[in-house]
Amino acid sequence: MQVPILPRVARGETNAIDECLDRYGGLVWSLACRLSPSTSDAEDAVQEIFVDLWRNASRFREDTGTEATFVSTLARRRLIDRQRKLRRHPEPRSIDETGVEYAAPQSSSQMELAEDGVRVTACLEKLRQNEREALELSIYHGLTQTRIADRTGVPLGTVKTLIRRALTQLRNCMQVGSRLHAEGGVQL
Amino acid sequence: MSISGMPDADRWEELQITRLLFGLSLEEQAEFDELAPKMPAEQSELFEQVVASIDVAWSDSKSMPLPGHLRKAIRSRAMEELTTQALQSVDKPTVANAAVVRSSKLPWVVAAACMVITVLTLFSSRQNEPANVVRDATQQRAKLISTAKDLVQVNWNDGPTPISGAEGDVVWSPSQQQGFMRFRGLTINVPTMQQYQLWIFDKNQSDKTPIDGGVFNITSDQEVVVPIQAKLRVQEAYLFAVTIEKPGGVVVSSRERLPLLATVN
Repeated sequence: MQVPILPRVARGETNAIDECLDRYGGLVWSLACRLSPSTSDAEDAVQEIFVDLWRNASRFREDTGTEATFVSTLARRRLIDRQRKLRRHPEPRSIDETGVEYAAPQSSSQMELAEDGVRVTACLEKLRQNEREALELSIYHGLTQTRIADRTGVPLGTVKTLIRRALTQLRNCMQVGSRLHAEGGVQL
Repeated sequence: MSISGMPDADRWEELQITRLLFGLSLEEQAEFDELAPKMPAEQSELFEQVVASIDVAWSDSKSMPLPGHLRKAIRSRAMEELTTQALQSVDKPTVANAAVVRSSKLPWVVAAACMVITVLTLFSSRQNEPANVVRDATQQRAKLISTAKDLVQVNWNDGPTPISGAEGDVVWSPSQQQGFMRFRGLTINVPTMQQYQLWIFDKNQSDKTPIDGGVFNITSDQEVVVPIQAKLRVQEAYLFAVTIEKPGGVVVSSRERLPLLATVN
């Protein structure tokens, strides 16, 4: 398990900044690239996210989750907020959504993942194909529910149901995994 | 604590998921704010934790390292933030802290006060630096983006005489009368032969006489950030245009070579 860096950032240790960028720069950048409409927009978003991170570093608590999930939570909040503001303008969309290829995400290796990541990867394996696809298109590719419906050819209401069902299952699965792990060191 | 038996539990979950994955509309946000106080606090974080874990598991962090120019800009901004935080935390002790300080740590107070004075002296002398000592434009741009509430941001598009591969954007704050152009792939110019010049078209100005936004050079085919040097007050910009002119720029452009345009919606 990695030693957290954010408490050192919160104490104002300047060398912790470089370590933080080494450890989480790629995570934030890959998220921003996926959830931003252009590279220049992703670059602005990443700068805003790290400002948020420096300012909120002291809020990180080891007992509520891993540092990586704390960072990705802050990053996602900022990125979704930016998306929402951009959505005031008409959303650019492909004329034929079904013709666009969306590559499936590659999970990081078990060696690289923190505990939460390992657990969610195991839980994702238990989802049905259509549930996982809906999650990939929304979480990984940042598509709106309407575009997912266009893409998959299923009604909008069904898309909403699939996403919600998948996240509820993951939530329950992760809670169970977390409890088992705490009680007997069992890992999923 | 489970919320399954609570009224509005379904709607609450739906709003939480929409908020996390797609963002809420104004109406949904109002509904969310109304329901939030009625729901157990820990429930609101469970989905967020799940999505964050998926983001970590699916991240391409190894194959997509943070670009060098971006890392440099973020690092500069971080140093600024840490300095500000240090000043604030020394400057504004809480009541409890103050009591402890008064009772037993007087030498540390003196030391901290000396540090504050030193930092403030350095800070104020930096403010007195001559105007030609320009701080890193990338850093200044990042600061403008994070502080300006009225920020205009538009991408460059091809003008009538485009330069292949040139891209970037313009940010401008009307209230601060400050802005920056960002370019990548714009041809490096030879300043003794020709220079780039920015023109700002203002709704309160004839389009025949746009505001001169300054003459500048492109020194790299990597990202270049250039401060805008508007010669007049810009009230309501609707178009930014880059022309290629003779060294030193011109007062009125013939607009014969106009590679980039950025239109404000």
